[in-house]
Amino acid sequence: MKINKVLSTILVLSVYTLGFADDSKEIYPFDDSNQEKIFLSLLDEIRCPKCQSSNLAGSNAPIANDLKREVYRLVRSGQTEEEVKAYLVERYGNFIVYDPPFRVDTFVLWLGPLLFFLLTLSIILLILRKRISNSKEINQ
Amino acid sequence: MIAELGHIFLISSLVLSLSGGISAFFLKKELPIQKFALLMTLLVTGAFFALIYSFVIDDFSVAYVAQNSNINLPIYYKFAATWGAHEGSLILWILSMNLWLLAFLSFNKSGSINFSNIVFGVCSLVIFSFLLFTIFTSNPFERILPVPPLNGADLNPSLQDFAFTVHPPLLYFGYSGLLLPFAISIAAMLSSVPNRDWASASRPWTLLAGSFLTVGIGLGSWWAYYELGWGGWWFWDPVENAAFIPWLLTVALVHSLIVTENRNLFINWSLLLSIFAFAASLLGTFLVRSGILTSVHAFALDPERGLFLLGIFSFFVLGGLIIFAFKNSTKNQSSDYSINSKEFGLLLNNLLLVVLAVSILFGTLYPLIYEAYTGGKQISVGAPYFEFIIFPFSLMLGLLQGIALYLSWGSTKSFNFLGKLIIESLSIFLLTLILLFVLFEDLIPASFITIFIFAWLISGSIFFNFSFRSLEKYLDFINRRIGVLLSHVGMAILVLGVGVVSSYSNEKELILDPGDKIKFHNKDIEFLGIRDVKGPNYISKAAEIRVIDDNRSFELQTEKRTYFPSGQVTTEAGIETGIFGDFYVSMGDNFNGDSWSFKLQSKPFIRWIWFGALLITLGTFVSSINMVRRLS
Amino acid sequence: MRRFLNLTPFIAFGILVVLLYSFLNQENEELESVLVDQSVPEFQLPELEDPENLISKSNINNLPALINVWATWCIACRVEHPFLMQLKNESILTVYGLNYKDDRQKALNLLERDGNPFEFSIFDEYGKLAIDLGVYGAPETFFVDKTGIIRERHVGVLNDKVWKDKFEKFLKEDNEDK
Repeated sequence: MKINKVLSTILVLSVYTLGFADDSKEIYPFDDSNQEKIFLSLLDEIRCPKCQSSNLAGSNAPIANDLKREVYRLVRSGQTEEEVKAYLVERYGNFIVYDPPFRVDTFVLWLGPLLFFLLTLSIILLILRKRISNSKEINQ
Repeated sequence: MIAELGHIFLISSLVLSLSGGISAFFLKKELPIQKFALLMTLLVTGAFFALIYSFVIDDFSVAYVAQNSNINLPIYYKFAATWGAHEGSLILWILSMNLWLLAFLSFNKSGSINFSNIVFGVCSLVIFSFLLFTIFTSNPFERILPVPPLNGADLNPSLQDFAFTVHPPLLYFGYSGLLLPFAISIAAMLSSVPNRDWASASRPWTLLAGSFLTVGIGLGSWWAYYELGWGGWWFWDPVENAAFIPWLLTVALVHSLIVTENRNLFINWSLLLSIFAFAASLLGTFLVRSGILTSVHAFALDPERGLFLLGIFSFFVLGGLIIFAFKNSTKNQSSDYSINSKEFGLLLNNLLLVVLAVSILFGTLYPLIYEAYTGGKQISVGAPYFEFIIFPFSLMLGLLQGIALYLSWGSTKSFNFLGKLIIESLSIFLLTLILLFVLFEDLIPASFITIFIFAWLISGSIFFNFSFRSLEKYLDFINRRIGVLLSHVGMAILVLGVGVVSSYSNEKELILDPGDKIKFHNKDIEFLGIRDVKGPNYISKAAEIRVIDDNRSFELQTEKRTYFPSGQVTTEAGIETGIFGDFYVSMGDNFNGDSWSFKLQSKPFIRWIWFGALLITLGTFVSSINMVRRLS
Repeated sequence: MRRFLNLTPFIAFGILVVLLYSFLNQENEELESVLVDQSVPEFQLPELEDPENLISKSNINNLPALINVWATWCIACRVEHPFLMQLKNESILTVYGLNYKDDRQKALNLLERDGNPFEFSIFDEYGKLAIDLGVYGAPETFFVDKTGIIRERHVGVLNDKVWKDKFEKFLKEDNEDK
């Protein structure tokens, strides 16, 4: 029982050290898996300025690599997803992020679909109620 | 010489389609429309073959060939290059519209003479307008004279690929197939066919168009996954959206036609939706080919083409809607249904699908609206937005689909099935979670909702009408409803694929020297070295990667290809495919010597997305064939 | 009322067509320039000609001036090179170069061969300052007025027409203030 525990600890430790050995090979190593998540999701959401229709994750353009490095630096320094986005928007405008902000000039974009759904749904329900009451009258 | 012949074929079919179309509209007697359609199809086929021929013999005096082929291009891709760019793809498009029309006239035996005449007339006029567009703004047979180039510029390297040779024809078949429901709805409004008849005439073709759209979009997604080299399978790119919107509307139409045929309800709605679906397919063409949206897939930009396409779009769509405004069905709809009926369920389904389609269109156009409104400020609308919008609506659609088959026409007497459904789906849900835990040693709560929807859809479609006492009855039921079953199960599988791959994926970017060994999750990976490869029209650096996974060992190869003469570089990913996930490796940049950056990815369940799409394709295809057989 | 309802799809699509038509005529605008009317960002990068010499914002002091983003891999930059030389030769205003993601030796060779229109060039190997300037690629040109504020930005080749259309007015403004 005890030996098992020791063995498994060794195993776990060796896996970890192997893991650290890998880090030297990684281009964007992270100690904190949370930061890594932020980094990866930023790569998906930031648009490659040169390629016009691709995100950083999907681009090998030199400028995409520069931006990746910059994003990596910012995330490693502890900035949040929002802070990194704001940093880039300050330089490149909202064009750079695929996630449009929620503001006065974009609320139609974000709320439009919901409003459209509610509007059409209520029209349909209104028509149906009218028809159901009509048909009841006819039946009576 | 052959190219001129092709040009003459195009011009003759232009004349034929106009004269045939107009006479079919005004002559109310029996016309040899089937022979007429056959003749047009043969002419366009002739033009198509003339273009293929020009590619095969490397006739670079034809401008289109010179721009999209090259003497060293493998012969197989010379064929495919025919539809690799704007002009040639239009010929394919026109050919497929002709084939749809011919198929309709050959198999459809219902409806009056007037009805078939109008269907023929509308189709011919649409074909005419596309021919006009082709001949005047995008003629593939145009010559470069007097000095033709000795060699062509080459086909875009990322299009030199198997999936890409079949993806566009299938997608165009789907797009152009929406012409039939449109023509049928116009004919239904202008002639007096009973609703049942036109709905049942429209259903198989709508389903078939949907089938082609599904497989076309699926192949496109698969192609993007392995060819673009970063492992994405859907990007919410404007061009992808331009294909997705008609797909959503086609699915809506398929369901609304069921109600129109069976219950004599939703008549005006089905008429409208037929117009909308066709409009969406034309709109997609416009968005892609006018160049108003910047996109990786966009064809060469030309404002004149955009204007012409917008003209076609407005003429047919607005014309159709004017006819609708004055000729729609005003008869009182007879049947009644309550809020717990199948009718209402399908109504909600349609509402949700249309809202989705409109929202995606809105999101796609929003950057343009924003730029016009703010006077030049720019904004990007991409995946985060579309995922946010699509999630609640697809959730509702999923919940609805699970109970859909249990609902009855008129009103559903009892909702006792809910208990059974919930128990079944919870068990499937738990089993799936156990499977995922065994496979990946992790449970990710973010994926729970999609996994539950998968379970809900599976139990709602497979176990519907199933009891152990009457297996025979159940098999008979499956036999009769195989199309519905396949497509609904396909949807479930697609949902599971999307759910798992978007939360269980992993990736790492590394710089490796030959001989380096690293660990990626449970795999040992060794970079063996770089080999120089010479292809027929490219040279490439191929990296050999050995992967040792549990007890298996295999080798993958990822390449950086440089195509000549264009000098364009493409990435070929190395992919080990598995039922429960892919291992994906792609080469990045070269550092000193043979040291390269690599991107390693695990893509669990990604195949399920395309397998699901394939099932939907099959299901709709089978249903459609059965219906055509019944009609004729 | 019913007729009107029947016309709503037509009206909706009519609006869509008008919208699409206006998009078609919408000039493909240049990328938005966020940095216009802001001051030149702080930076610290080596000089192209002398790797030991660190340049910062304070070295850009002969204002008004242009900052021109260039590289040897950029073909369009060769096209605008003669115009930049002309600006220098006619002493119209100072041009500072931002040598963007380039090879130092190649860049120096090019200036040797074709002439050096720049007061000096900042060597930005990793696109650091370029990101702070919101640069998309090369060539790009920024006009910095005498107070150190960026007034205009041009993406693409700088030539006589662009100069007259976009930049000359700022130079005049600055001169009048004197």
